[in-house]
Amino acid sequence: MTVTVERAPQADTVRRLLAGGFVSAAVLAVLVASAFTAQEAVPGIAIPGPLVEYGLPVLRVLLDLAAVAVVGLSLLPKLLGFDDPERTEPVMRRARPMAVAFAWAWAVLALVVIVFQTAELNPGLIPTPGMIVEYVNSVGAGQGMLFSAACALSYAGIGLLAVRFGEKVPAELRIVIAFFGLLPIPVTGHAVSSVWHDPIMISMELHVMGAAAWTGGLVVITLLVARDRELLARVLPGFSKMATLALIVVGLSGVVNGLATMLLTPGVELPGALLTGEYGPLLVAKAACVALLVPLAAHIRFRLLSRIAERQATTVIAWATAEITVMGVAYGVAVALTTASLS
Amino acid sequence: MRRLLTVLLLACAVLFGAVAPAQAHNILIGSDPKDGAQLATGPDKITLTFDQPVRQGFAQISVTGPDGTRWENGKTTVDNHKVSVGVNPLGPAGEYIVGYRILSSDGHPVASKTAFTLTTPGTGTASQPAPGLSSAGPQAQAQAPGLGAQAAEAAQNGGAGMAVLWIVGSILLLGCATVVALRRTKERESA
Repeated sequence: MTVTVERAPQADTVRRLLAGGFVSAAVLAVLVASAFTAQEAVPGIAIPGPLVEYGLPVLRVLLDLAAVAVVGLSLLPKLLGFDDPERTEPVMRRARPMAVAFAWAWAVLALVVIVFQTAELNPGLIPTPGMIVEYVNSVGAGQGMLFSAACALSYAGIGLLAVRFGEKVPAELRIVIAFFGLLPIPVTGHAVSSVWHDPIMISMELHVMGAAAWTGGLVVITLLVARDRELLARVLPGFSKMATLALIVVGLSGVVNGLATMLLTPGVELPGALLTGEYGPLLVAKAACVALLVPLAAHIRFRLLSRIAERQATTVIAWATAEITVMGVAYGVAVALTTASLS
Repeated sequence: MRRLLTVLLLACAVLFGAVAPAQAHNILIGSDPKDGAQLATGPDKITLTFDQPVRQGFAQISVTGPDGTRWENGKTTVDNHKVSVGVNPLGPAGEYIVGYRILSSDGHPVASKTAFTLTTPGTGTASQPAPGLSSAGPQAQAQAPGLGAQAAEAAQNGGAGMAVLWIVGSILLLGCATVVALRRTKERESA
């Protein structure tokens, strides 16, 4: 292996900090948000135990993070380009097995989520295979998860081919399959019944894909590319453009979807409902996360990017780590938002 | 990149056809008796009305009396937008809480409660003494064989049963391949 990736002594610490910050921010946020939306006890009705009540959202957010990692790792060859394999190949050689491992995690988590969703519907019972089959047959959320798991598995298969044959396996194919696996996830969330249903679903899909590309791309660049100044200088300007587009798409679609969902729900009054109930405050929290991302992203884009382009040392890793941690919080809140009660 | 976007949009379009799109979250828009109603005689039936059709199965209504006793009678039935359950003649005066949990049409369980007050004591006796949660046991056992039979039927018809088989098969195959491939990469790196 050619030594093109300079290994600073504290490189592993930084990597651990970043990944740890991302995952723990997401898990903490989802736990807090789930406690906030916790089902109040209804006399005479069995509700799921704490294992399901808190376990399901945690699994859901871990699934999202695994999917984000897969999307980011799939976009990496596109960002790196194919002109200078001498320099990019060592990075890709580390990225490809990681993509397969995360696709695995995604698939397994999706299947476990199906089991937990079945348990959520049948409080007090341990799900049997029969109950799970019944759940998948009758509930769209189950079918969506199964489809997502199938996509993740096929990604793992194609990712293995890529591990073996390198970039002869088209990067586009992997990107499409990864995004395809993301598509059914919003189908399992809220929706409204009105003529606006389809536009809202499409904008929701854009939201999910934009968020995954933005977060995944940033995580992967920071973890695998950022220490190689030469490579970073080539990758970051392109990614920065994509991230700007993603920021606009994610922010707009998120706010429009959230407000439209509330507007179209009978008995919900805007703007009062933004601060009361469950859905409104979570929506505000998520919008606040995106608003917090703007200055962080802007600092990298307008202050650091020109110096990165000149191959100078910068504090980009620290700023990106902060950005990624906020993104983790947003993912955690997002999972709670999908099941929060509107009224 | 433009080609990629086209492919993704096409993929979206295909998916909308393939996966049943989520329907909305059900919201309780009315109940009989109304929330907070004052009644001199107990109702013989509780009906909850939602803003859209409720899914069959999984629906459950309970009626809990002032001292924690249970008063619902028979199974909860779902008829399109309405979910109802029979009620025994009520006993002591006081607040009766109607708890419910239904499977919303978007696949989320939705649970909440309404309440009414009985002003004149009735003559009835509770269908179950307090506490009520033990009801999950026998009901669950009654449900299980039905589900098992349905599952067997589904497996015979293909459906999710076959999907599970395919997924387990591909998991095994891919798992072995992953282990082999990762081991080889490691060998190549250390060599």
